[in-house]
Amino acid sequence: MQDAENVAVPEAAEERAEPGQQQPAAEPPPDEGLLRPAGPGAPEAAGTEASSEEVAVAEAGPEPEPEVRTEPAAEAEAASGPSESLSPPAAEEPPGSHAEPPVPAQGEAPGERARAECADSRAQAASEDAGGNEGSAAEAEPRALENGDADEPSFSDPEDFVDDVSEEELLGDVLKDRPQEADGIDSVIVVDNVPQVGPDRLEKLKNVIHKIFSKFGKITNDFYPEEDGKTKGYIFLEYASPAHAVDAVKNADGYKLDKQHTFRVNLFTDFDKYMTISDEWDIPEKQPFKDLGNLRYWLEEAECRDQYSVIFESGDRTSIFWNDVKDPVSIEERARWTETYVRWSPKGTYLATFHQRGIALWGGEKFKQIQRFSHQGVQLIDFSPCERYLVTFSPLMDTQDDPQAIIIWDILTGHKKRGFHCESSAHWPIFKWSHDGKFFARMTLDTLSIYETPSMGLLDKKSLKISGIKDFSWSPGGNIIAFWVPEDKDIPARVTLMQLPTRQEIRVRNLFNVVDCKLHWQKNGDYLCVKVDRTPKGTQGVVTNFEIFRMREKQVPVDVVEMKETIIAFAWEPNGSKFAVLHGEAPRISVSFYHVKNNGKIELIKMFDKQQANTIFWSPQGQFVVLAGLRSMNGALAFVDTSDCTVMNIAEHYMASDVEWDPTGRYVVTSVSWWSHKVDNAYWLWTFQGRLLQKNNKDRFCQLLWRPRPPTLLSQEQIKQIKKDLKKYSKIFEQKDRLSQSKASKELVERRRTMMEDFRKYRKMAQELYMEQKNERLELRGGVDTDELDSNVDDWEEETIEFFVTEEIIPLGNQE
Amino acid sequence: MGIPILLQGHERSITQIKYNREGDLLFTVAKDPIVNVWYSVNGERLGTYMGHTGAVWCVDADWDTKHVLTGSADNSCRLWDCETGKQLALLKTNSAVRTCGFDFGGNIIMFSTDKQMGYQCFVSFFDLRDPSQIDNNEPYMKIPCNDSKITSAVWGPLGECIIAGHESGELNQYSAKSGEVLVNVKEHSRQINDIQLSRDMTMFVTASKDNTAKLFDSTTLEHQKTFRTERPVNSAALSPNYDHVVLGGGQEAMDVTTTSTRIGKFEARFFHLAFEEEFGRVKGHFGPINSVAFHPDGKSYSSGGEDGYVRIHYFDPQYFEFEFEA
Repeated sequence: MQDAENVAVPEAAEERAEPGQQQPAAEPPPDEGLLRPAGPGAPEAAGTEASSEEVAVAEAGPEPEPEVRTEPAAEAEAASGPSESLSPPAAEEPPGSHAEPPVPAQGEAPGERARAECADSRAQAASEDAGGNEGSAAEAEPRALENGDADEPSFSDPEDFVDDVSEEELLGDVLKDRPQEADGIDSVIVVDNVPQVGPDRLEKLKNVIHKIFSKFGKITNDFYPEEDGKTKGYIFLEYASPAHAVDAVKNADGYKLDKQHTFRVNLFTDFDKYMTISDEWDIPEKQPFKDLGNLRYWLEEAECRDQYSVIFESGDRTSIFWNDVKDPVSIEERARWTETYVRWSPKGTYLATFHQRGIALWGGEKFKQIQRFSHQGVQLIDFSPCERYLVTFSPLMDTQDDPQAIIIWDILTGHKKRGFHCESSAHWPIFKWSHDGKFFARMTLDTLSIYETPSMGLLDKKSLKISGIKDFSWSPGGNIIAFWVPEDKDIPARVTLMQLPTRQEIRVRNLFNVVDCKLHWQKNGDYLCVKVDRTPKGTQGVVTNFEIFRMREKQVPVDVVEMKETIIAFAWEPNGSKFAVLHGEAPRISVSFYHVKNNGKIELIKMFDKQQANTIFWSPQGQFVVLAGLRSMNGALAFVDTSDCTVMNIAEHYMASDVEWDPTGRYVVTSVSWWSHKVDNAYWLWTFQGRLLQKNNKDRFCQLLWRPRPPTLLSQEQIKQIKKDLKKYSKIFEQKDRLSQSKASKELVERRRTMMEDFRKYRKMAQELYMEQKNERLELRGGVDTDELDSNVDDWEEETIEFFVTEEIIPLGNQE
Repeated sequence: MGIPILLQGHERSITQIKYNREGDLLFTVAKDPIVNVWYSVNGERLGTYMGHTGAVWCVDADWDTKHVLTGSADNSCRLWDCETGKQLALLKTNSAVRTCGFDFGGNIIMFSTDKQMGYQCFVSFFDLRDPSQIDNNEPYMKIPCNDSKITSAVWGPLGECIIAGHESGELNQYSAKSGEVLVNVKEHSRQINDIQLSRDMTMFVTASKDNTAKLFDSTTLEHQKTFRTERPVNSAALSPNYDHVVLGGGQEAMDVTTTSTRIGKFEARFFHLAFEEEFGRVKGHFGPINSVAFHPDGKSYSSGGEDGYVRIHYFDPQYFEFEFEA
């Protein structure tokens, strides 16, 4: 399947410009016909080029053969005579062919032929009443003349007519194409790319071929065409039954005999299929261009604000907001937008919503639906990092023959690329993607299977046998896989780094007395930390080693930090060389910050003890970190600047269940999700320094997700330059802030003023009515004016009340 | 805020507190059968009205503080002589009495009963000037309320109508003469826990389980203002002399254990009436606040809580000086 690359969908255009033009097999078939039969017995074949065609056909869709079937259909039509069918036979094209441009391209040929045949038979009819139909007569003319019976005046036979004209004579040209009884060619296969040998080595070759191909059935006949004393490089084999032939094609196609020779195996009966491919390449029908607008419009926002999605009312409503220092600005709000939760794609282009019937992707300025993927009962999804593919998981629907527990989809076309079986979704994602989306891998018992895109086939057609493999992880900075294998008797545990696609092991590290390992990559792939829990001999309990692999250095040197305390959490600084570790037992939890220095030394920068934290949240830009004591730790928060290790602020969001940094590292949101706690559901917005900006209470708030941003387009130099000129920028920003602040306070005062005015107006009206009703009030209370508290002060009676009395004297009965 | 006066006269959660018109007395009822009356100025208990055998949900005093009316879960509404504490009338009902009140003139009483034990929710009207109505327990009018039960109700201005808040969040204005629905609005999405009129009775504030309190016009029931919190609001009261409203609430009793027990979660919250903005909070209760009331002179307010305490707070001078920038 190496050829697959050639016919692959063109590399992801950043914006989906014209989906219609990106059909897989839009490439013209090779100019030279693949196989040219010279005669039934000794076909000549130009089997030189490995066919990329069948890849094309396979890619084309679920029904690769319709063009073959078209022919008999057209024939039948033609044979049925001149009866009524004047409709162009092109209409006979298999249904769905329009959806799949490559099929019409190939189906065109038989269509054309059928048309000619049809014209033929029509000519016979037309000859009887020449001129009856201008068009068809004209069309029929040349052929009719050839047939020599153009002058026949009447179509009726004389009474004494004896039909001695054989059908062969009459319809010879039609009949020669009629379906033939199978005469054994169904069992014949053609093998290309066979080594070309002289007679001396022919016997050896035959042995080898026999060995390989008799696996699929008994070979009853073989033929090795020769030229100049050497074989031609392709051979014919006949099996006892057509089923064997099909089996051989399925399994031996692509068989690698040696470096130079990879077999291409085809059925002999497929000749027609490849014959009918038109030499002219027909441009696939252009699909109407669906203008989705600028899918990245949100990045052009003048204030560089970020967006986030919020699910609330226990999932009934979903909103998208602009994050704003003052108040979030709603962009879109929809009821029942999703049935469970939502996900953003890794670069933020799409918002995925979950439905019983599948996944929908939304995007563009108005959040219109862009694509749908039908997968009944879908529960989990995962995007490839390049946003080209979507992986969906559903526990329903999987069957033995048709794997569809996990489906990989092409996001641009919406087509299913491949289905997989899945035993358990416990460790989602099952498939882990390489950073560039070129490969994806999954681990099963003693096996690591790596697949490649866009073919979705196994890399080199083989899985890796790794007995005991426990876990693996792709580097986020290159096509390197790290995996580990536990101890087995005398063989030590092993962490291996493997380069892909070469499968070269670039580093192997043996470890002893290992209980468990966890793989932690730094976001750029500069470092790998393997957290190793060990029970060293002669000691009690578990110690933890952090094995730090420096990926960017020659031979990947490793340094170790050992810790005797329980490890609660570990996290690398993104884009940096620091890491944070939470360790100890509650309530004596400490946080330690380490720095991997250039010379490889790992230095403890700072340790804070008595922390209330169970999770580490680094800013996506590094340097700043939030230590959070989520859920059971009541939502304690510590905002730390790791450049000088100062705690900028200590705060609390009671019962907080989530912490989410915005993609720029300017803001952080803490939230209490209804999914984990039923009261006080809200999300709070903080600055990276821990200054609380907003408390947003949302009824039964469930989830907030920031919209990710694609990686920056600025080069390292440009970023450096900006950092250098920061003073210049900050001046502009400060001015902007001041302006917006004074504007805000002005607006606030203005708003209050109008509110007060309106309220006064209302009160005045109400009071006027009140005054009008004075007499009625007086009447109802027997003439006593009670409008003011002291309006009937004359009637008051004095009452003596003592404070803090020891002897209680309560005067009674002096009211009114 | 100075040290509040703590009234400890109940063994169970406070359900309602109410000042009389002059403000010298404070009536408190709770989920115990005791009805207390206190001197508001020093928090001294003046006496109790004994007779109920179940939780007392509501209390009201007439304009001249002659009579006191109470409604209870013991399926009765009782009329008391305020001064002597003598029970003047006992009106038996089929289900718990949720709300009760004297009309403007003090001649007509109304009370609503719960939809409970197969009985519907009714509003009953008795004219005290006709003793036979009381004696025969025959109200001159009984409005059935089939859709959603009444959870709070007050008399409208001049006693022409009553304003009732429902479990569904709806507000209805019923004519006190014909019983027909004069106005219906739905501004709240959940149960209306409390309705209190302004001193001049031209407007009223509602407290709802939907975490908001709202201001309405008494005549038209037109919605005027909304005050938002993050907790169910159990009670709201309007200041008689400032554009202020005080809100009391918190989590429902059944949810309290899942919330922080630390003080500060159950605060009375003060909002500006026109701006809808919060400007102050008063801590103290260690459970949700179930009822708040402004003293008629606007110099103090009281709150009754799920914790069983009633607290009388006198405002600091700063409170009277505070003004919004506008």
